[in-house]
Amino acid sequence: MSETDGPLIAPNRRGFLNVLLGVSLVGWGASILYPVLRYLRPLSETATGPLKLTPEEVAKIEKEHFVIARSGTRKAIVFDVNGELRALDAKCTHEGCTVQYVPGDSLILCACHNGKYDLDGRVLSGPPPRPLATWVATRDGDAVTITRETV
Amino acid sequence: MSTANATVPERLFGWLDERFGVQKLVDWAKHKEVPVGGHSMFWYYLGGTTLFFFTMQIVSGALLLMYYQAGETTSYESIRYITTKVPFGWLVRSIHCWGAHLMTVSLVVHMFSTMFLKAYRRPRELTWVVGFCLFGVVLGFGFSGYLLPWNELAFFATSVGTDSVKSVPFVGEWMLEVMRGGPDVTINTLYRFFALHVVILPLVTVGLIGVHLAFIQVQGMAPAMKQQTPDRPGLKFFPDFMMRDALIWLCCMIVLAVLVFQLPYGPGVPGIDWELGKKANPLAPAYPGIKPEWYFLWIYQLLKEFPPHLFGMEGPQAALILVNVLMGTWALVPFLDRKSRAGKPSPMFTDLAVAALIFLSYLTLKAWDIGGHLPAGEPDPKATAWVCSLIVLGVSASITIMRMIAYKARWFILSMAALLQVVLNGLAGLDYLIAGAIALAVAVVGVLALGDRLERGEAI
Repeated sequence: MSETDGPLIAPNRRGFLNVLLGVSLVGWGASILYPVLRYLRPLSETATGPLKLTPEEVAKIEKEHFVIARSGTRKAIVFDVNGELRALDAKCTHEGCTVQYVPGDSLILCACHNGKYDLDGRVLSGPPPRPLATWVATRDGDAVTITRETV
Repeated sequence: MSTANATVPERLFGWLDERFGVQKLVDWAKHKEVPVGGHSMFWYYLGGTTLFFFTMQIVSGALLLMYYQAGETTSYESIRYITTKVPFGWLVRSIHCWGAHLMTVSLVVHMFSTMFLKAYRRPRELTWVVGFCLFGVVLGFGFSGYLLPWNELAFFATSVGTDSVKSVPFVGEWMLEVMRGGPDVTINTLYRFFALHVVILPLVTVGLIGVHLAFIQVQGMAPAMKQQTPDRPGLKFFPDFMMRDALIWLCCMIVLAVLVFQLPYGPGVPGIDWELGKKANPLAPAYPGIKPEWYFLWIYQLLKEFPPHLFGMEGPQAALILVNVLMGTWALVPFLDRKSRAGKPSPMFTDLAVAALIFLSYLTLKAWDIGGHLPAGEPDPKATAWVCSLIVLGVSASITIMRMIAYKARWFILSMAALLQVVLNGLAGLDYLIAGAIALAVAVVGVLALGDRLERGEAI
């Protein structure tokens, strides 16, 4: 039936054009969305080298037995265990609260959800799923330097 | 439509209609028509294009806010960080800067087309007034945004721009201090301008746009003064006009994209340039070539043309009064134009718009120092005036001939008076204000003697 040729072809052609239009619309949208998404993601600060504590921070260790120091986007807790300096990641592995050193109980406590770690960062009790990453603390006279241990 | 055969969008529409009566809204939109046939449809799209650019400003401005930090040690540094470090940061800032200029261009063309077509006439006087307020707000956006990068150019341009406020009688000093957050431009000024730019002005703008659009929805778009085919049906607003609107917005986006990619820091013309340059230093002396954005250049030049003292006033004070009288007259045009209010042709106001364009173009060109330079490298005012007047004369002559042929216009008193000032100042070397006074006298005598006689046969 020659009369039906037109109507049979027309929807296909229309469908093809619609697909073409749809693909170009998606491409157009993506070309706008991509820069916006890239723009929104903040640049990562890559300060991973050794961090030298300030004299105020060192004084705080002596006074309060621990201090929280910042290196780039990371925070470390530096604490004094009977004259020996140790350092751990200060961010609780549960919900990211900042931990504290409790010298009397010899543990690292996260007060947000009562997560407890031992002085090597291993989980003792509470909800934290992973141990705290360890840092190396070195003392040279009055200067204290901490470095993140590479895993 | 049977539910079984309905497509997903149709079913979604049905779901919404059942709950919110969306069909009524669609029916209402379908009944709305845009007048056709009186003049080019193009002029009806300019409000929409301005709105489009404003939307782009909101989006790009919100993105900039995510990195921008207002402060003495952070404003300049954060803008530099955005343009040099953040991925596509240069793109976002360039869109914001180009978008600002394109929005102003679109708004100015929209305003002048409304003026030429007398679309402000009864009953749309308030739509014009609200539109004029929006124009003022956009100028405020430009002025406040200019300072935010806290660079040298912005610092000095803002110092000059805000300083003129002190010549307002009685409250000038108070206004100056409120505006600057102290007697001088300091970081306090930036905090105030920042609040103005990102909170106060956007809120005011959204409110005014709401009123402007509500008026247009209630009254419809203005038909042409002389509908050639009065019975011709209009163009359906939905979907016909809206589809065209969307297409024009897409074209605007393409223009914006091309400009942003080709000239990310502007064309380098004074007043259309956003190179960051050096950080502002309040203790550094000003340097030559400090200019405001292009839409303020006419005021900048006017301030330069005024003598230190005039009629017992200080020069800037007199200049400010003149600017306010001109702007006030412009805002009240619908109430002053009695002819078009009665539906009659009003060639005097068509010519007033041409005169305004001549006046503004001449001052702007002069502010750009188009013309010769002195041997020391400084712009030569006489050569500049000469070249600028020749450009304005040439363009105005072509426009006048076009008006005579295409629109059969015969009423040129005000535009000729404006040109007379340009000739007397630029070619005859007369002082700008004396030339202006002579032109004004000629205009007044001309309107009184010939005004009504010339009106016969004019269309708008």
